[in-house]
Amino acid sequence: MCAAIRQFGRTLLAILRELADENAYRRHLAAHGRTNSPEEYRRFQSEHFKAKYQRAKCC
Amino acid sequence: MRHLISALFGIVGALALAGIAINRGEPVNSMWLVIAAVCVYIFSYRVYASWIAAKVMALDDNRATPAERLRNGHDYEPTNKWIVFGHHFAAIAGPGPLVGPTLAAQFGYLPGTLWIIIGAVLGGCVQDFVILFCSMRRDGKSLGQMAREEIGRVGGITALVTVLLIMIILLAVVALVVVNALKGSPWGTFTIAATMPIAVFMGLYLRYLRPGRVLEISIIGFLLVLGSIFAGEWVAHSPAWAPWFTLSGVTLALCVIVYGFAASALPVWLLLAPRDYLSTFVKLGVVILLGVGILFVQPQLQMPALTRFIDGTGPVFAGDVFPFCFITIACGAISGFHALISSGTTPKMVAKESHALPVGYGSMLLESFVAIMAIVSACVLDPGVYFAVNSPAGVVGATAEAAVKTISAWGFPVTADQMAALAKSVGEETLFYRTGGAPSLALGMAHIFAKGGGGERLLAFWYHFAIMFEALFILTVIDAGTRVGRFMLQDLLGHFYKPLGRTSWMPGVIGSSAAIVLGWGYFLYQGVRDPLGGINSLWPLFGIANQLLAIIALCLSTTVLVKMHGRKYMWIPLLPMLWLGTVTFTSAYMKIFSPHPRIGFLAAAEVLERNPLQTEATKTLIFNNYLDAFVCGLFLVLVSTILVDSARQWWGILHGTRAIESTETPFVPSQLRPEEI
Repeated sequence: MCAAIRQFGRTLLAILRELADENAYRRHLAAHGRTNSPEEYRRFQSEHFKAKYQRAKCC
Repeated sequence: MRHLISALFGIVGALALAGIAINRGEPVNSMWLVIAAVCVYIFSYRVYASWIAAKVMALDDNRATPAERLRNGHDYEPTNKWIVFGHHFAAIAGPGPLVGPTLAAQFGYLPGTLWIIIGAVLGGCVQDFVILFCSMRRDGKSLGQMAREEIGRVGGITALVTVLLIMIILLAVVALVVVNALKGSPWGTFTIAATMPIAVFMGLYLRYLRPGRVLEISIIGFLLVLGSIFAGEWVAHSPAWAPWFTLSGVTLALCVIVYGFAASALPVWLLLAPRDYLSTFVKLGVVILLGVGILFVQPQLQMPALTRFIDGTGPVFAGDVFPFCFITIACGAISGFHALISSGTTPKMVAKESHALPVGYGSMLLESFVAIMAIVSACVLDPGVYFAVNSPAGVVGATAEAAVKTISAWGFPVTADQMAALAKSVGEETLFYRTGGAPSLALGMAHIFAKGGGGERLLAFWYHFAIMFEALFILTVIDAGTRVGRFMLQDLLGHFYKPLGRTSWMPGVIGSSAAIVLGWGYFLYQGVRDPLGGINSLWPLFGIANQLLAIIALCLSTTVLVKMHGRKYMWIPLLPMLWLGTVTFTSAYMKIFSPHPRIGFLAAAEVLERNPLQTEATKTLIFNNYLDAFVCGLFLVLVSTILVDSARQWWGILHGTRAIESTETPFVPSQLRPEEI
């Protein structure tokens, strides 16, 4: 039971991180072999948001 | 055993549906709606959707998905199925499944509930699932690209133009919902205004203070928004501050238009993205809270199963239950817009083909459940209160006394004192003429939340919390939608003059942003000035547009299935398409040509033309009615074009006169290990 709750909590947190683009940022760092820094985050934002906000949001 | 459990859910679902359909006179507990919906969802998922996945699509986990084959660490990334599920649900859940069912509650709880449940399991979920499957088998291509490649060039271009027009109507109508919810409400207006500096603070925090800490700043942002709700009460009672935030509909419309333009032209990280994070988390939190609230409180439905307004004389919007119930509730039953999401980010994240079932079909089931919760929230209100809040002055009378007299005469007793006491309890001056659905939904939600915790003392807080939640994510739809519309317009204009297509060329950015904002801004302004409240003309127009987009998606689905299996399984998307075609073409025809001025745009223009007093306002109203009729007709022409084009394809393929040209990518074996997802 406790394991199931822990698993649920982990999945929920992972969903929230995906929605917050935190997972995407990690993937970005891994893909480019870089570490977290304000400059890197700004670079990520400009690449990621360009694609993200060209798509319609649903009604 | 599996079949036995599925059959059990099917039987319980059918009995619960029959129970709520046959019941007359006695109040029904909302749990019956919840049980009916959940059992039907589980049955359809385990039986119908699983059958489609296995026999029709033949989903194969040994086949590499685009997320695996084209993995790039950005768009294409194999992701855990529950994360994709959450991501997809958050993307498809907008204001539609909340507002549409609230408006359709004027027919009673039954028509909307049946349409939401049956429409979703046989139409909406199938559409989302099949489009996700099609896109997944085509490298994650968009609906427009697939329409162009599978149906033809005409179909592709028509789909693009239709989407752009739908965006404009969508943005206008959701903006109107916000304006109607906030007009004359200093508390609500202050709270929403405060979310803008909060969003800018979040943007700066992420950019310069704690890069990448989105969850952290979202929690801080949420606490600040909660603080702004409490501050809003103080502002509403302050003689110095209240007048600054007590705005008319026209002023609010202008504010929203300016906001839409600014958000579209400003850097995304500063305003749009932080608001988007905040609204996504608030939206998911409130949906869960509402679900828990309904389960905990188990409220009785006050609205009858059917009201007298199924005859088309409804005050919220005019039109018979058939076809207007089926275009008023789009998202929640079937929404064409979902096809854009199912062919957007989601197919690029699906790690295994079998995940398309919970993501495509399952997410839409959850969206449908949100719509059921919205109809419950609207129907727990006293019907007299519901109609007093949602009816425009042009229908029920311009004074409180006239309005309650008209509504009581319909058989829904309500008094001016009752409305005044209710308005006071939620911290508002008045709740009359709050058309658009948002305030009545907020009232219903506030009642459920207050019964769950805090009682009547917290009713005002919960009401403004619900208004904040609705307005917050509607404004996010507006700013993101304006930006997307700008990109689409620039893409189109770039064919005529190259620099206009460049998203970094400032004159192009400003010009195209202004064009999109003026487009939806005009319809918004028209809605605000409309004596019938605006929703009467704009919401059906939006519903028609959205359902026509669903017809395009189902056309594409049918084409793909015909290419895969001939005529054998083409009925799966074809039947919902034929139903939607009948509903949408009938309602569009009625909106243009009905002789009743509250329904037909041309009849309304004719009545106004007969008025001997031709003021500027009258002339504008006449023009607006002709414009709405033209837009409605244009939608019909565009979708008819795609229908004819598709039918020619199907006929040719089924009779062997046309070669089967599928654009499905070839089979590549999957190398993905379970621990990678």
